[in-house]
Formats: sequence, C-alpha cells, structure tokens
Amino acid sequence: MSIIQTKDVKKWFGDFQALKGITMDVAEGEVLVVCGPSGSGKSTFIRCINRLEQHQEGQIIVDGIELTNDLKNIEAIRSEVGMVFQSFNLFPHLTVMQNITLAQIWVRKKNRAESEEKAMELLERVGIPEQAQKFPGQLSGGQQQRVAIARALAMEPKIMLFDEPTSALDPEMIKEVLDVMKELAKSGMTMIVVTHEMGFAKEVADRVMLFDEGMLVEENTPEEFFNNPKSDRTKLFLSQIL
Amino acid sequence: MVDLIKKNAKSLQESLFSSVGSAVLTIATTYLVINFFRGMLGFALTSDKDWLAVLNNMQLYMVQAYPEEDFIRVWLSVGLTFVLAGLSIGIWRSDDRVKSSQVFNSFFKGGLGVLFFTIIAPTNASFMGNDGSVITEEVFSMDTRLGILIPVAVFCVIFFSIRFTNVKFTVNSSDMVFFYLFIPVALLWFVKLPTIQLDQNNERIIPDPVMPIADTTKIPWTVIFVSFLLSYFIGMYLKNIKSIKSIMSLSWFLLPLLIFSWIFKKPQIDMSVVLGSDLPIFGVFLLWGFLVITFVNNSIFKKYYSTYLGVTFLLTLVGVFSGLPMLAKTCLLLIALFSVVVPAVSTSSQGKRSLLIVWAVALVTLTFLLRGGASDTGIVVPGSSIFGGFSLTWLLAIFGTYVSFPLGVLLALGRNSKLPIIRIVCTGIIELTRSVPYITWLFFASVTLAVFLPAGVEFNLIVRVLMVTAFFSGAYFAENIRGGLQSIPKGQYEAADAIGMSPFQKISLIIMPQALRAVIPTLVSSAITAFKDSSLVTIIGLFDFLTIGKTVIGNQSIPVNFVGHDRENLIFVAIVYWIFTFTLSRRSMKVEKKLGLGER
Repeated sequence: MSIIQTKDVKKWFGDFQALKGITMDVAEGEVLVVCGPSGSGKSTFIRCINRLEQHQEGQIIVDGIELTNDLKNIEAIRSEVGMVFQSFNLFPHLTVMQNITLAQIWVRKKNRAESEEKAMELLERVGIPEQAQKFPGQLSGGQQQRVAIARALAMEPKIMLFDEPTSALDPEMIKEVLDVMKELAKSGMTMIVVTHEMGFAKEVADRVMLFDEGMLVEENTPEEFFNNPKSDRTKLFLSQIL
Repeated sequence: MVDLIKKNAKSLQESLFSSVGSAVLTIATTYLVINFFRGMLGFALTSDKDWLAVLNNMQLYMVQAYPEEDFIRVWLSVGLTFVLAGLSIGIWRSDDRVKSSQVFNSFFKGGLGVLFFTIIAPTNASFMGNDGSVITEEVFSMDTRLGILIPVAVFCVIFFSIRFTNVKFTVNSSDMVFFYLFIPVALLWFVKLPTIQLDQNNERIIPDPVMPIADTTKIPWTVIFVSFLLSYFIGMYLKNIKSIKSIMSLSWFLLPLLIFSWIFKKPQIDMSVVLGSDLPIFGVFLLWGFLVITFVNNSIFKKYYSTYLGVTFLLTLVGVFSGLPMLAKTCLLLIALFSVVVPAVSTSSQGKRSLLIVWAVALVTLTFLLRGGASDTGIVVPGSSIFGGFSLTWLLAIFGTYVSFPLGVLLALGRNSKLPIIRIVCTGIIELTRSVPYITWLFFASVTLAVFLPAGVEFNLIVRVLMVTAFFSGAYFAENIRGGLQSIPKGQYEAADAIGMSPFQKISLIIMPQALRAVIPTLVSSAITAFKDSSLVTIIGLFDFLTIGKTVIGNQSIPVNFVGHDRENLIFVAIVYWIFTFTLSRRSMKVEKKLGLGER
C-alpha cells in the first residue's frame, strides 16, 4: 500500500520547467533517498508533496487525499507530513519548548501540559532536553536542526520530508543530525530524504533515486545504485561525488 | 580610593584629550555648553520672568475649563490609572535587583548635576526693560550660591564615599519605583511655594507670599500614592492566578475608554432610551451570536455558512449607512467580524463555552461604553468640548495610537495581500492619506467631513479629528509594519505552513510578532510624532496643551495680568513634551533589549 503516489508531475517556474513528469510511489515505512546535482528539481519535488510549491500538471496523492487548491485538504495533509528544512527555519522569537509545542496547541488543539510533556519526550529523543528553555539563536546548527526535527515530529506525522537537512552544517555536527535520522528510520517512519550524504543512503535507505534536469533518471536499491548503476548519468554523478 | 581616582583620570584623559584635535574640540564644546546653560539660567532667573504664570495656571493646563465641582472625576481617572499601574507592577514584578552602589551612584550623579548648575549660574543677568533699555541686575547672589553649594557638596561626598564602606544591599527594581514616587509626594507636604494673593482692590500683593501647597492638591495625590502602593501589594498577591495577565492587558485596553466615556464625561442617561432601545438591541445580538456559536457545526448550516457570511456583511454595509442607532451599527459590525472567527475557534465544546462567554462580555462592554460615550455630557463648559489642555492632548495621543495601530497592522497586511481588490484598496488608503498634509486633514475633519456623512449622522468635532488622525497615523504605521514584514525570511512562512498552521495563525503567531519587533524603533518614533502633532489641532479651534500655554495664558489679564509671559509658558510646555517623549523612547529601548533576548 503506497502512502504517496505521484503521476506525471510537472512544474514550471516561469518558462523554466523544473519537473518534467515525475511518476513514483512510496510505501508506508519506506526510507527513500533522493539525490542529484543542484538544480535538478529534487527539492522542488519534495516541496510539492506538502504543497509548499504548487505543481501545474499531474497528480499527487498523499495518504489517500489528492492535493488540489482546497485549503482544507492542504492543511490536513500538512499536519500529516513533517518537513525539515536546510536552513532549519526555527521561530527565533520563541523558545525551543515553544517552538515544539506551538503547533500541538494551535493546530492539534492539545492542552499545554500535555504538549509540553510530548515536547520533552521528543527533546530527549533527539538528545537535547537541557536546551528546552533556550532560544534558537543560542544553539549550535546541529542542535537547531535537531530541534527542527523534534518540532516536525511533535505533530505525530505519518511521513517526514527532509530537504538537505545537513547541507548547512559543520562536518562535526552532521553526524549528530544523521544519528537522529537513522534512529527515526529504524522506528519505521516513512521518510523522503534529499541529501548528498551517500553514507546515510547506503546504510538506511530502502531505495535511492537520482534526479537530473527535472527527470527521474534512476530508481534502485542502494546496493544496485552504488555498485551496479543502470544509467550512465548515475555513474557520472557517483564518480563526481564519491 | 587613590587608585580609583588615578584610573578615572587616566581614562578621562584618553577619551577627551587623546590628541590636539580632540582636545580643541573638547574645550570648545564645553565652553559652548556652559555658555548655553549660563544663558538659559540667566534668562530664567531675571526678575521680569514671572514663573507664577505657569504655576498659578496648572489647573488650566491640565483640564482647561473643566468645572471645579466635578474635579473628583479627574482625580478618579488619574487614581484608577495608578491603581491599574500598581497592580501591573505587582503582577509583572521583576526579580531584577538593583545594587545599593548603583542607587548611591545615581544620587551622586544627580548631586553633581546640581553642583554644575550652581557653579556655572551667572551672578548678573541683563534683560530688556519696558522702555527698551538694558537692565542688569544681580540674579544669583554669592550667599544663595554658597547656601546651595555647601549642602549639595556634602551630599555628593557622602554618596561617593559610601561606596567604599560596608553598606551593601540590593533592592528589588520594582520596589524602587515606589521609593522614587514617594519623594515628590512627601515633598508636597513640606514644600512652600510662592502663591498669588489679591488684596481688597483685587490687586496682586507683591512680593508673593510663600504658602504651603493647597490641600486640594496634596490630599488627592497622597491618597493616590497610598492606593498605588496598596494595589502593588494586591498585585503581588494575585500574581499566581491563572490568566490574570490577560485580564490586566484587557483592563489597560478598556481603561481609557472607560475614563473618557463614563468618568471624565458624566454621561446623562435617559432610562427610556436604555430600556426601549439599548436592551432590545443587546438582547437580539446576544441571541444572534449564541445561535451562530451553537449551530456552527450543524451540517446544514455549515453548507450555507459562506452565504450567511455574505448576507451578514451586506447587512452591515447597509446598516452602517442607514439611520439605525449607533449601538445596532456597531453590533452589526462586531457580529460580522465575529462570524468570521467562529468556525476556526469553536471546534470543541470547551471552545464553544469560552466563545460564548467572550461574546457576552464583549457585548456588555460595548453597550456600556457606547451608551456612556453617546450620551450628552452633564458637564457644561464654554467652548466646543469638555476636553482641553493636557487632557485633550492625552486623549488625542492615546486614541490616535489606539485606533491607528491596529488599523496600520490591517492596512499593512492588506497591502501585502494576494487578493487584488484588498491590495488596491489598502494601497489607495495609505497613499491617499500620506500624500496630504495633516493640517489639511484637520480642516477636512472640521469643515468637510460632515458633507460626506449620510444625513442624520453627526459626530462631535473631537470624534471627527480622531477619525482623520486614526487614518493619518495608521497609514504611517502601516508602512513601518510593511517594512517589518519584508524583513521576515520566506523560510518562516514555509515553516509555519509545513506544521499545518492556518493563514490566520501563521500571521498572528509567527510573522507579526517578528515583524513588529523588527520595527519597534520606527513605530515608537511614529507614536512620538503623533503625540507631538496633536498640538496642530489648535488650528481648528481646539485648546490643546500648547495652545493653553501660548495663547490662553499669554492673553490672561484677569485676575492677574500675565500678558507677555508666554516665554515662560513655552519653556514649561516644551519640558513637559520632552519628559513624555523621552520616557517613551527610553521605555522602548528597554523593551527592545528585552525582546532581543533570543536573537544574536
């Protein structure tokens, strides 16, 4: 049973076609790694899945609901799909605790005590319970990204989207974020991860995809993808990145 | 101690005389500053300046022609404000502690300031006599100078050296407010001021006898201080009650409305109007809101909710321009806005219950305030308005900011809206109001506005002035806030979207708080401008604070002749304006510092 289905998704920015017909599906509990050179449309694609970008043609069905202009559907899907950004995008005027409880209180309509309990639980899971009362500006990049993951998890999403979560981090901090993501993958979360961390892809991915120029070039298991790629484009990409 | 002096001397040398150029600059500037203050003091101390022109007219300055038998209303207004302030300070009592050395240091610095002025004050000053000749006289004798110099110097030495003793303690910074306020209140009971007295022929007795301050001044202030202190303790006691802070914020919002509609104004209530019109309208709208809340989740009603909203807005639009009573119009507007919010909030039965309470309380408050505001006033004064002097300036400043700030927020959001009609209307309002001078708008309010209003709709001159002021400063606020909105990175919008927030939640919880704190300095300077610009209402015949000083007192000849003494009054007015604006800008700096906590 696939939780995300896309059919021939196309998207233009002005005259530039960013997505040239992407068809794929993701099964529940699957970890999918999407890689590709910059400008290949991989970020655009996962941003289409929770409609931060609108696709112009094709069909995206998330958890049985098709993405259309209906605002109610979009809000329903967004609360089922967690998203982690490259630049963290924590709310700088709120404490870490408030960042995590905000959506629980206002979107899920939980009471404060309950959501704070949940937030502490999540902060312990990502390993920074002692930072709860600090502001995002007082944390390191790795800690901020872990807070961002906790914030997304607080909504108890069925799917997590990661848009280059480690690209803005120091090499030393990448590991702490990846560890959290690995733990999350092992717990059975459905994940789509846009990343250049090939080690992560080898270790936890169920499937790896390569995007180039708005098209899905290769879709394969990690072993096949890294050892025995089908297309020449993949070979070129791997030779440059490894 | 010697080391300390050496260290200070060294840093002084480094900062003031580091090079030849800076030494020259330092000396030249010091010379200019000293001469400026010498000139000012000389001007203030000469015998042709009659400072009693200010002191004797304090009542006129504050409330203009407000009748004396109703002064209890003015005191009540002031007292209520202080009680609320005391409660708030108690509730928001900070844990910051001020060190004794800091307090002593500020006393020491204050003493140094007095010393400075005593030393530089000129012994002789000249002024122009009535016949055009220059008269030079002694204004500050050596005896007076020494009489001030010696005690103040002793005071300074004590507070300087106390830092090197073992007297060390800390005081809660909130408690200090009461100490500082206690000083002037206590002084009221001891200070004697020169007072104007008239003889049998109704002529001024010169020299003016020195008298203690009148009971009608010191007793109310003492009572106010005591209730301020009491409410501070009550506030500390109430601190832990849930939602007390939101109740306090709401009270601050309602306080000016209450003061201006019920306390200051003495409304004359016609019971037949209240029973025949107010209560039925109140009942109808209470029921209306009640029905909307109850049936909002009903499936049939839900289907036609957008139709219902459209009809309500249409009714409101028609209602506003019809001959309905004011209360009905306002209630219509309120129910239209309320209906927009209801579906988002009343999802649970708990939400419904609190929404019902909110609706009932809002309606009661509205009816109460509107009845007070719309009734005729029982206070009879010469001129067009019971507000005059500082009370008018204050009214314009508070309501100017009050109405224009939310309006500015809405206009800024509207200008950024994706809907073309809203965007065009908002941009139009902003550009139209900003491109016309404020004075033109004031004339518009006093002369032209009545022509545009439908027949039978009439507003008091002050209300009309408030309307144009709201739009005028609202347009400026809107542009400032728009600047703040543009400084918010796109990622913040996306992050809010990604956790499933509705557009309303996104704006009110994520975007606005950040945008507003980014533009606090410009918002405060807009508020200061609005405060000062309120003095322009003199041009349409209202008597604000400045007009009292410049024109009214400047032409006063009965019972005492103050003609020609407007310079003293202008200086006084300038100082009062300065105190208020300076306090405002200092407060805003503190707020900025506090809000900037999390950001680096």
